[in-house]
Amino acid sequence: MSGRLPVNLIIGAVLVALVVGVAALSLVWTPHDHAAMTIRNRFQPADATFWLGTDQLGRDIVSQLMVAARNSMTVALVAVLIGGSIGVMFGLLASALGGWVEDLIMRVADIGFAFPALLFAIMLSAVFGPSLTIAVAAIAFINIPVFARVSRASANQIWTRDFVAAARAAGHGRFAISRDHILPNIAAPVIVQGTIEFAVAILAEAALSYLGLGAQPPSPSWGRMLSEAQTLMFMAPHLAIYPGMCIVIAVLGFSLLGDGLRDITDPRLKRRRA
Amino acid sequence: MSAPLLQLEGVTRRYRMPRTALFRPPPVLTAVDNVSLSLNAGQTLGIVGESGSGKSTLARMIMAFEAPDEGAVLFQGADLNRLSGADLRLARRRFQMVFQDPFGSLDPRRRVGWSIAEPLRATGAEDSAARVTQALDQVGLRAGDAEKYPHEFSGGQRQRIAIARAIVTRPALLVADEAVSALDVSVQAQILNLLMDLQEEMGLAMIFISHDLAVVACICDRILVMRNGKSIETGDTGALIANPRHDYTRSLLVASGLET
Amino acid sequence: MALTQVSVAFSGAVALREASVSIAPGARLGIVGESGCGKSMLGLCLMGMVPDAAQVTGSIRLNGQELAGAPERVWRRHRARDVAMIFQEPMAALNPLKRVGETVMEPLMIHEGLSRPAARARALALFEEVGLPDPAASLRQYPHEISGGQRQRVLIALALACDPGLLVADEPTTALDANVALRIIELLVRLSKSRNMALVFISHDLAAVSRATEQMLVMYGGDIVERGPTAQVLAAPRHPYTQGLLGARPGLENRGRTPDGRRKRLVTIPGTVPPLFDLPQGCRFSGRCGQEFAPCARHRPQPTALGGGQEAACHLLSPLHAGRGAA
Repeated sequence: MSGRLPVNLIIGAVLVALVVGVAALSLVWTPHDHAAMTIRNRFQPADATFWLGTDQLGRDIVSQLMVAARNSMTVALVAVLIGGSIGVMFGLLASALGGWVEDLIMRVADIGFAFPALLFAIMLSAVFGPSLTIAVAAIAFINIPVFARVSRASANQIWTRDFVAAARAAGHGRFAISRDHILPNIAAPVIVQGTIEFAVAILAEAALSYLGLGAQPPSPSWGRMLSEAQTLMFMAPHLAIYPGMCIVIAVLGFSLLGDGLRDITDPRLKRRRA
Repeated sequence: MSAPLLQLEGVTRRYRMPRTALFRPPPVLTAVDNVSLSLNAGQTLGIVGESGSGKSTLARMIMAFEAPDEGAVLFQGADLNRLSGADLRLARRRFQMVFQDPFGSLDPRRRVGWSIAEPLRATGAEDSAARVTQALDQVGLRAGDAEKYPHEFSGGQRQRIAIARAIVTRPALLVADEAVSALDVSVQAQILNLLMDLQEEMGLAMIFISHDLAVVACICDRILVMRNGKSIETGDTGALIANPRHDYTRSLLVASGLET
Repeated sequence: MALTQVSVAFSGAVALREASVSIAPGARLGIVGESGCGKSMLGLCLMGMVPDAAQVTGSIRLNGQELAGAPERVWRRHRARDVAMIFQEPMAALNPLKRVGETVMEPLMIHEGLSRPAARARALALFEEVGLPDPAASLRQYPHEISGGQRQRVLIALALACDPGLLVADEPTTALDANVALRIIELLVRLSKSRNMALVFISHDLAAVSRATEQMLVMYGGDIVERGPTAQVLAAPRHPYTQGLLGARPGLENRGRTPDGRRKRLVTIPGTVPPLFDLPQGCRFSGRCGQEFAPCARHRPQPTALGGGQEAACHLLSPLHAGRGAA
């Protein structure tokens, strides 16, 4: 009984493996060139050549979905890594220094929380022009306060532990302790948060692309495929359904994986299961 | 006689409590109230009191984890709270601490040898592998135990590891805050004997803090009784047990089974 | 209440081995041992609260009625009215959102069918009986507003609410300051006498057990290794484990210094308590015992009567090895 993994973890891991696997496969192989347009082949139904059919420009949908998965993963990964690193750094700093520094960092984080990501992305696009880099920057930015909060809350707990006091007695300063003791011990909650934020980032990337603020043509993206399919909704509903399903699978997969990881790393839940 | 190793002069520490009302000033808790003591090299002093008596706050000030609001903590004649960061770090080699909870005082993600060598690295001392092996040997553990993680040890063994870390820099003073309170009686006796061995071999001065007067009495030359932040009685162990002047001390004697 | 040959096992790990205990009305029994010796498990057996995962064998009788293997429904009828329990951590056992008076009144209204005013009057009387200062005001307080000792008094009042014949106290004083613990022990002894209520006092603290009880059991590794009148066992322990436990406790006799100027050392028991799944087959204490000989590791020692109601389970004391024991 105790050795069993939670169901959400297993389902999440399977869905994530599927999406990541497809994205990785697109690097070396797609059924067709995702950007190749053949007007003769527009609105082909699903068959042996085009597994999910073609769009209004005759492009293969499967190939586009695969490449879009790769784009989506890359954006989410880079954004979460950047946002996470900066956020964790601020969180550790706030926790280590305390006092007014902590107050200042956390109040700024509160403001960051209140700031809608889309608005930020639109502002950046207005200044610099829409591009994938802007989308990544916007998503990374909204992740900073999230990670700052999580890492500060976890770090504050670790700071009260005796082994931290022992490290102080040993003669270590606040930064050495943050590096040697705090960071390794908050890794679990931060990784859990990172997995959940990955799902949020995929959704955000889809939303930005839908608005034309993310990946630019010819680079395919689930969000832009949706927006292009919108005008053809009644003529070719499958053009909207497939990218929509991809978004659902990816977001659901990472959310479940994050939940599952939390279940197995949270000591309180562990005790209840034991 | 030379100057004392450790001297506390009228040390007071206050904490501000959360506000109870918007326009009233927040209440202040005086955790330690005007406590003075002095300890010579190689001596053992027991601090006895119940939870909330201020004994742990006193320990934190001796360890320079926090500064007193009034008074001074002098270690080998130097005021710890006036030292520069680098000097304080260096001074920490000479006074170390053992904590109550053997499951909390070791980082679960670090190998035991890493934790024991931590004071050496932090204070810039050298030759850590040999020193770690020696410290493990002194507390009755094997050199190979340095490669293990804390969860592989029992509570008593972990407390031995914590003691090894505290003595690895060869300090002059060891502060033990309820260091045996979390242990079973038979293991508690082993650790107390170990502390006595180390104290005699290394000429350690020791501040031994506990709620249990019986434990303190078996290891300390002198005892200081604390209540509500104040030092209410202090004296040689034998005299204090035979002739407690304060009713509170007598009640602690009864509670610990030393007097019926 | 009587337990005969009760064993509790968790998939291979024996937490309690063939323990027999009988408790007469009004008796005060101490159970002593270190962590993992089975003393809490014995307490849970008395309450019928052994975890579901455990296999329990043997007989548990309450006022002549067999309760071993009885379903939860049957046990629930007896809990509170016949057997009640208090625990180590009084804060954890109280609902923080409820006034303590309400907590005590609840079982009175449910089990005894008392009206609200009647329950309140009973709770007030109970609070007076357990020595809470200003009982009327205490009824309206929340758990966080009162001290640890007072919380333990509230829990004792709660345990007494349905007038049980037996009170099981599992480490009731461990979380309390020494002076407060002393008062709680005095209270438990007084209540046991005035109500003719049996008291089972489980503790690792020999001083507390000597104050609280008349009879005592010493447990080690799931076995009862020694039993007898408390004063007699503490004055003249016969089992090597009991002797070690007493010697390990700092007292007046091991204070001071030896002639060569070194401080006197405490008697120690080598090693640590082994985990339940790794206990030796014969005598549980073999491997740590300083007087071990051939049969110890293989054969389980049977209790030997030592006079005055004291008995100990050790091969050294058994008539079969009499010569050995004298040596």
